[in-house]
Parts: sequence; structure tokens; C-alpha cells
Amino acid sequence: MEEYDVPSAASILASVKEQEARFERLTRALEEERRNVSLQLERGSLPSDRLVGGTTGGSNQPLAWQQMVMQEQSPSNQTSLAMMQEPQEVVEETVTIEEDPGTPTSHVSVVTSDDGTTRRTETKDNVTNMKVTKMVKTVTTRTVRQVPLGPDGLPLPEGSSPLGSYTDSIDRRYMKNGERFITPQATSTLTRSYNNYSDSYNDAPDSQFRHYTLHDGYGDMADNYGSLSRGVNYRPYRPYMPTGGYRPENSYTLPIRKDDYGHVAQPQVPMGSSTMDLNRSQPERFQPEPYGLEDDRRSLGPDDEEPYDLEPDYSTANRRTLPGRTIREPLRNGPRMRGYEDPIETELIDERHPYIHGMYPAPLAQPERGSLASLDRMGGRRSPSIDSIRKDPRWRDPDLPEVIAMLGHPIDPVKSNAAAYLQHLCYENDKIKKDVRQLKGIPVLVGLLDHPKAEVHRKACGALRNISYGKDHDNKVAIKSCDGIPALIRLLRKTNDMEVRELITGTLWNLSSYEPLKMVIINHGLQTMTNEVIIPHSGWEHEPNEDSKPRDAEWTTVFKNTSGCLRNVSSDGAEARRRLRECEGLVDALLHALQSAVGKKDMDNKSVENCVCVMRNLSYHVHKEIPGAEKFQDPSALQGPGSAGTQRKKKDDAGCFGGKKAKEEWFNQGRKNGEHDKNYDTLDLPKRTEPTKGFELLYQPEVVRLYLSLLTESQNFNTLEAAAGALQNLSAGQWTWSNYIRATVRKEKGLPILVELLRSDSDKVVRAVAIALRNLSIDRRNKDLIGSYAMRDLVSNLPSGQQRPAKNLEEDTVVAILNTIHEIIIESSENARSLITAQAIDKLVAINRTSQSARETKAASHVLQTVWSYKELRNALTKDGWNKTHFQPIPTGTPKGSRSCKPGYDDTTLPLMEKNQGNRGCSGGDMIPMGELGPDGYSTIDQRDKESKYKSSDGSSDLQEREPLKNDTNRKHYIRSNRPTVSLVDACDVKPQPVDSWV
Amino acid sequence: MLTQRIEIHKLWDGDNLILGFSIGGGIDQDPSQNPFSEDKADKGIYVTRVSKGGPAEVAGLRLGDKIMQVNGWDMTMVTHDQARKKLTKKNEDVVRLLVTRRSLEDAVRQSMMQH
Repeated sequence: MEEYDVPSAASILASVKEQEARFERLTRALEEERRNVSLQLERGSLPSDRLVGGTTGGSNQPLAWQQMVMQEQSPSNQTSLAMMQEPQEVVEETVTIEEDPGTPTSHVSVVTSDDGTTRRTETKDNVTNMKVTKMVKTVTTRTVRQVPLGPDGLPLPEGSSPLGSYTDSIDRRYMKNGERFITPQATSTLTRSYNNYSDSYNDAPDSQFRHYTLHDGYGDMADNYGSLSRGVNYRPYRPYMPTGGYRPENSYTLPIRKDDYGHVAQPQVPMGSSTMDLNRSQPERFQPEPYGLEDDRRSLGPDDEEPYDLEPDYSTANRRTLPGRTIREPLRNGPRMRGYEDPIETELIDERHPYIHGMYPAPLAQPERGSLASLDRMGGRRSPSIDSIRKDPRWRDPDLPEVIAMLGHPIDPVKSNAAAYLQHLCYENDKIKKDVRQLKGIPVLVGLLDHPKAEVHRKACGALRNISYGKDHDNKVAIKSCDGIPALIRLLRKTNDMEVRELITGTLWNLSSYEPLKMVIINHGLQTMTNEVIIPHSGWEHEPNEDSKPRDAEWTTVFKNTSGCLRNVSSDGAEARRRLRECEGLVDALLHALQSAVGKKDMDNKSVENCVCVMRNLSYHVHKEIPGAEKFQDPSALQGPGSAGTQRKKKDDAGCFGGKKAKEEWFNQGRKNGEHDKNYDTLDLPKRTEPTKGFELLYQPEVVRLYLSLLTESQNFNTLEAAAGALQNLSAGQWTWSNYIRATVRKEKGLPILVELLRSDSDKVVRAVAIALRNLSIDRRNKDLIGSYAMRDLVSNLPSGQQRPAKNLEEDTVVAILNTIHEIIIESSENARSLITAQAIDKLVAINRTSQSARETKAASHVLQTVWSYKELRNALTKDGWNKTHFQPIPTGTPKGSRSCKPGYDDTTLPLMEKNQGNRGCSGGDMIPMGELGPDGYSTIDQRDKESKYKSSDGSSDLQEREPLKNDTNRKHYIRSNRPTVSLVDACDVKPQPVDSWV
Repeated sequence: MLTQRIEIHKLWDGDNLILGFSIGGGIDQDPSQNPFSEDKADKGIYVTRVSKGGPAEVAGLRLGDKIMQVNGWDMTMVTHDQARKKLTKKNEDVVRLLVTRRSLEDAVRQSMMQH
């Protein structure tokens, strides 16, 4: 369709003349037909299955012809499908499928005769001009025939594009503007339409004729429609795209509005638009929508009509034009209509009147067209009453079995439109999804994924995406059961169509939210998703070119969907983590994408969130799970973090602390005790012979800076939580790398960043940060710093007495904070003293005595016992009015069912202990034993996805609904409150040179 | 403590929006090295340099001023970088500072003694 050479004016003229002549003949025939028909009508003997060709021209006469033109276009082919149908009983449909010149062409005309059989005539025509004509006689189901269906399965409204108007308009177009628009294709189109009348038409400029087998005279018209619609197809070549951004192959309808041949061409619009509207815009409304964990949910709603604006697509624009309305109106009456149609309707109405009046003159004023009736009808019925159309009882939506049956229709556009309609129906309608499943529609849709035509697999994929969304896991399982996952992955490998890729990855994202499917997705799709989406969109290059600048990540929808899918599957346990870690290029690409995000200061988006979450999940248990982890275990630390206080095995560079703060006892201790291994920079670090790559990147100290940047800059709670969670995961465990990570967080000045986030308004951020601080305090130096500077913030997060603080943190968070406090006062009477100074005892005692939560009670009790174990503090405590009983476990035992609450949490009720006893086991001291910590443990997503409670709140909805921190205001408020100075950084890092920044 | 409000209109310097002064200090910095502070434990943000004819000088900012607030944000307990970021927000053309300066106090004290 690209060649648009302008033939000589003479030939154009000749062609136009010839067409005029044909047109005249056609007009005459049509009028005759109309007379016949109107006679029949008058007699009231309208046969239900006979074709009625137009009305006698009164606008009060309901449109007898039902017409639908479907145009399917993809870059490689062009299809137009025309149906002419009598409103109530479909008598006949003619389908013309046409493909690009140069590709095998198939013209199919389906004629349904009275006996319910369909004759399908297919003319195949390939490049070599060989003609194959075959007649197929099939019996089609009555239902399909009876319901006039639009290309997407919607019922056809009456009279959307009267036959005459096409003829007329094309004719006139040629007369007036022929010179301008005549192109080989256009010529052929017209020729063809006229030729049709005589049962043959010119299909190509070379005057090759094809024969249509037509049922009867009506068939001519039907065919004619098809041909003319093809003319419409070629409209995209017009240079004046109204709003720009139209895809060439799609732009055929809207531009007409601004044609300089004005209203003459207008009548085509309804046809084209019905095509568009049903075929394109209808489904497309569902396509641009973003996904959440599950996507269609938030995508469309009355407020979401933006897709139109976002998608400067002919279909979009088309919807706003008058013609779209004709088709859409019956929809309004349909039982499945949704509220969101309304804004659009309104918009259409608003836009349409000036347009109508301008473009559609009153029928009677145009006698020459009155002969064709259709225009009359159009003009007559359109402008005055829209409502009359809506009330037209003759149209109904196809029911679900019909739509599903149409998925198997031999004609591709029918398939794709049925799929598109299904997508529409399934949107936010769990009942319909279930019905589709029970009607066995899902395997059919999955089967269509392998369909070669882009339009078909695209629409099928769109339907699957909506079906796959929702709480009803059975739909997801149904997709999986018919091998939908490998089919999606296959299509992902095959297609380059971005829209299809978005749909595929969106569907996969939806599927990935169901636990049992995660491994299936990993097995079939992990490497493909990585290679096809993650790596290319992350900007990471396997072999970076020295000369070229590193590429930035592109936050495309495809990337967002895919990273979301990986985020979900990454929580499927150790094996899933192993697979992801070992997936070639995945970790590298994710890391690169995140670094790019930090570099661009673009860190609040969903893609970043997804990437950080994957990283966080993959960081979980690295010290246990990565191959060869044993080699890095730190034997000196196996006694657990609790032992660090006395053993002083931490790999601190105590020297870096400098001596200036001698008043701080811990400081000297740190230096003294750290002396023997102060050069931790070289200590125990595995020698790297080659650049780090793959999963090793997960725990390299370099990532600390990345996570800290995210923690500093991101306003997205989920990202903050995940970044803190990643540090939490990496700083757990006793192996060389976690030692190094813990020290690096300090050296990179991460502690103040984390402490500041303790004041976050987000519960889960506070929780993740608190646990991260707990893990970090395994490092003695960190413990001292955290004890000195974070205590107030930790304590302020605790509920005071009955009354929770304003934040009203969840139980998990309170428990996490209590555990962190416990961790940092173990082995450090100085920190315990800070705790007392921070006036925590009040709160702890209150929690211990009054909390409704057994876990809170127990955790507070542990802290209190540990405090009491420091004999040197008892004096001060007694002075404050406390006595031993306040620090003992509440003897009422377990009225709150503490043991039953979270099994495996921390079952050991500590005896009131003396400090010397050093009961370290209790601290869970063992390195933040992952298992013991429960939901506040290490792997955030892991836990979350497994506990349905979190899944619903955090896993999905949460992602959308949480209000992102709008600006700095929230975060900075607490800085202004009278907080102690947060100076949790190693002195040595800072002291050398005072920083001086120009601003 | 005597404070003064200073409003500085940022100036485009190439691609950068500048204020024309430099800051030192912050809770992550060594306060003992701050030549401007009276109390050497003061970890506040201080004006360490003022470029001649720059927006800050025009607005009346002086060397050694201690910045208490930036557009209402407390600057007495922030890290160096936090202060820098508050001052260099791209989307703000105007920065309102609350500063305190010893010379100001001195001046007041002197004037009071005179009376």
C-alpha cells in the first residue's frame, strides 16, 4: 500500500468517467431494489431472512440494512470485512478479506441463505495472479447468524453506514478530488466496487478481475460494501492527519473529518468508524492500561478515559467522532454496559453535533443523494434523536457462548474481534471470567496466541490478560493448564510488536501472583523474559563498548510488567531464588537498571520498585544459598552476634574512629578491641581475579551505596522498604560478605539514613529499617553507634501505654522494633543506659503489662529482662521508681496466648537474668535467624507473598494505593522536631577534611 | 539568639541555579574544624564563603553566618548533604534563610550597652 504514484491525469479522468458510468448503473439497480423492498415492507411480509436493501427514504423508516465493516490492518496485511445484515435476522453476510497486494489475497464472501447454510466463497489470489476459487458450503450456527455482530462481536447498530452513502461518497470524492487522491489502490478500489456490481471487479491496477460468487443480487451490494470499505482502507495515505500520531494503517477514519472534500466523504466515516470503533478502539481501550500486580483493575474506569489521549490512535480519535456513536449506542443498552461508557458518550455527543450539522446536511436538501436513501437515513436519524437508536429493541449483545464460538470462526477478524470483545467483557467482571473459563474459552484463546496474524494474537492476549487478573486463581490455573504460559513465552520470543509484548508480560505478571504458577513461569520464561525484556530495557550490555556511554534503563511498560513478574516469582523460595540468581544477565541487568535510576534521580517509579524488590528477594539467604557460601563463613563469628560484645571479633577498622570522642566509652572500646584486625579492607576478602558478575553482584559492598542512594532519594515507600530489606538481608548471616556489608553501610554513612527512615510514616518502611538496624548491629561498631543515636527514634515508635503513637504501627513493626532494641542493648550496658535515658522503660513496662499482643508483650519482656540484667543500671532504675517486678515477665503466664501466636517466633521466655549469665540464646542472637524472625525477618517479599494477609495488602493493592510521599515535607518534619543530632557515621570518614559545598 | 531573615534569589549560572555561597558543617562533619562556631561542638551549617556580587552577598548573607533554617526547614540538625540539597532544589527560585550571626549579637549588645 505504499506505492502511491499518481497516474496521469488522463487516465484518472478516464477511470473516473468509467466509474461514474458504473455508478449510475449501480444507482439504478439499487433504487430498483429499494422499491422492491419497500413494497415488501409495506405488505408487512418482510421475510425474516431476506435481505432488505434500504428503505424508501423516510428517516422514520428503520434502517433495514445492517452493515458492518471490519477492517483489520496490521503492517503486513489489510483486511476488510463487510457484513450486511438485516437487523433481526441475519440473512447474509459478506466478508471480504483483503490483504496487501503482493501477499496472497483471499477474498471470502459468505452468503447465508434461507436454509441456514452458509456458502463461503473464497478467492485466493497470490502474487503470481493465480486464481484459486473454492466454494465452501458450511452450515453455520444459527446464533451467529442471527446476531448481527460487529467485528469485535458487538452487535451492529442499524444503519451505521448505509450502502448508498458509500457509493455516493466515493463517487463524489472522485469527481471532486479525484486528481488528488487517485492512486493505484484507490482506483482499484473504486473499480472494484463498480465491477462488483457486475459480479466482477478489478482488484488491481492491472485490471485483473476476480470473480465473486454471490448468492444473489444482494450479494452484489454486500460485496460492494466490502470493496468500498477497502477504499476506506486506503485513506490513511492522506496527508492530513488531524492530530498526528496516527499509525498509517490505522488512520483511515478520522482524517476524513477534516477532509477537504468534506461531507461528501463523510458517509464513509460511519463505516470506517464502526470498524475502528469496534475493531480497534473498543479493544484498545483496554490495552493501554497499566497493570498493577494485576492489571486491568486500575486500568480503566470512568476516570481512565485518558487512554484516548494517551494513545493518539485513530481509534481513539475516532471514538470521539460522530460515527463512532452509531455503533456505540446499542452498546449502551446492552446489559453489559458499564458506567465508564458514559463519559465517553457524553463527549461524543458534545462533539458530534456541530459536526453533524456541518457535515450532514438534511437529507432532503440533497436530493441527489436521497436516491441512495442511506444518506437520508443517516442524516435523518442522526441529528435529531440519538435516543431513538438506543431504544431500538432489535439489537442485543451476543451472549458469551456466541462470543466464544466466534473465537473459532474461520475468519480471522471475527476471531480477533471476538477476543477483543471478551477482553472488554472480562474487564473487572469476575463472573464473566469464570463463565469464560467454564465455557472452555480459555484454551481457545491460548490457542490463538500462536495465530500468525498479529491482530488475532494481540486480541487473544488482551483477553487473557484481563482473564488472568483477579483473585480467582482458577482462571490463572486454567491458562496454565492449557499450556498458556509456554504459549505466551513463545509469542514473546516471536513478536516485536510492543503492544503485544506489553500484553504478554502483563498477563505473565498477573499469572505470577499465584504461588503454584511461579515455578512454571520460571521454568518456561525466565531466560526469555530476561533476554527479551530485562536486559535490553535495562541498558546493560554484556560486553560494554568502551567508547559508548553506558545506556540508561528505559522504564517501558514491558519492562515494568516483566520486572513485576520476576518480582513475584522471586518470592517462591530457595529454588526460585537460585534460578533467578543463576539466570544469565539478570542480576547484572537489574543492577544496571537501578544504578541508572539513581543516576537519573528517577527512582519513584514502579519499575525501580520491582527491580529493588527482586534484588531484595535474591539477597535473601545469600550467605546460605549461593554456591560455595561455606567458604566465606566466618568461623570467628559463628558464636553469634551476641558474642561480639566480648569476643570483639568484628572486622572493624577501629582506627577510623579517631580519638576525639573519648567521652564516649564505646568508642574507646571499639578502638581497643578492634585493633588486631583493623585493616578490614583487605581482611578475608576473597580475591577477585575477574570482574564480578552475576549473582556475586548481589552482595558486593558496592551495592550498599546503591541501596543507600535509593533510601535517600526515593519517595516510594515500597522502594524504600525493599532497599532497606535488601540491606537487611545482606547484613544478616555470618559470612565474610555480611561482615563487609555491615561495615560498608557504616562507612558509607548509611546509619543516619536508616535512622532517619525510622521516622517514616510508612509502617513497613519502619519495620524494614528496624530489622536492618538490628542486623547491622551485629557489627559491634554499628551497635554502639545505633545504640547512641538511634535509640530515641526506635523508642518513639513504640506505643506508649494504651495509646499508640500517631503512627499506629502494626504489631509486626512494634515487635521488630522491640527486637532491634533488644539486640542493641545486649552486651552493651551503655546502650541499655541510652534506652533508659530515652525514657523507654515506661513504654516497655506498659507494653509488657497492657499490650493486647502476645508477641509485643514477649518482646518487651525480653528487653526489660535484659535491662535489669545490668546490675550497674539498677541503681538508676530504682531511683526512677522501678523495681524488679517491673522487669519480670508478667506471671499471669500466657493469657494472651503468647505461645500459640507465632510459632517459632521467639519461644524462649527469658528468665530474669544476671548480666554475667549472658544468656545470649534469647536474643535470637544468632544472627537474626531467619526462620525465627517470622514476618519481620529477612525476606520481605518472601514472607509477604506467602502470607496471604500480606499478599492482599502489600503485595498488590498496596503497590498502587499507598500514597506516595508527595514531597520532602513529611520526611523532613521530624528533623525539625527536637531530635538529637544524628551522627551515625564513622568519625574517621569525615574528619579529614571539612566538607565545603558551594550552593 | 538573634536571627535574621534573608531572602536570596537564585541565579542561573549556566545550567546551574546558584546562590553564590558555600556551606560547611553538618552533623556528619567534624565541628571542631569549624572556624566560625563559638561552641566547637556546634554541628550546625555555616556560611564558609560568599562569592562577590553573588545573589547571597546581594541579599546580605555574610561569612560565618549560621544557617538555622532554609525555607522553614531546620538546618541545625542535618547532615551536610541534606543542607546542600535543601539549598539547591532546582524547583525553587527563592531561598529564605533564617540565619544567626555573632556580629549581629555583638552589634545589639553594643547598642544595648550604649543605652
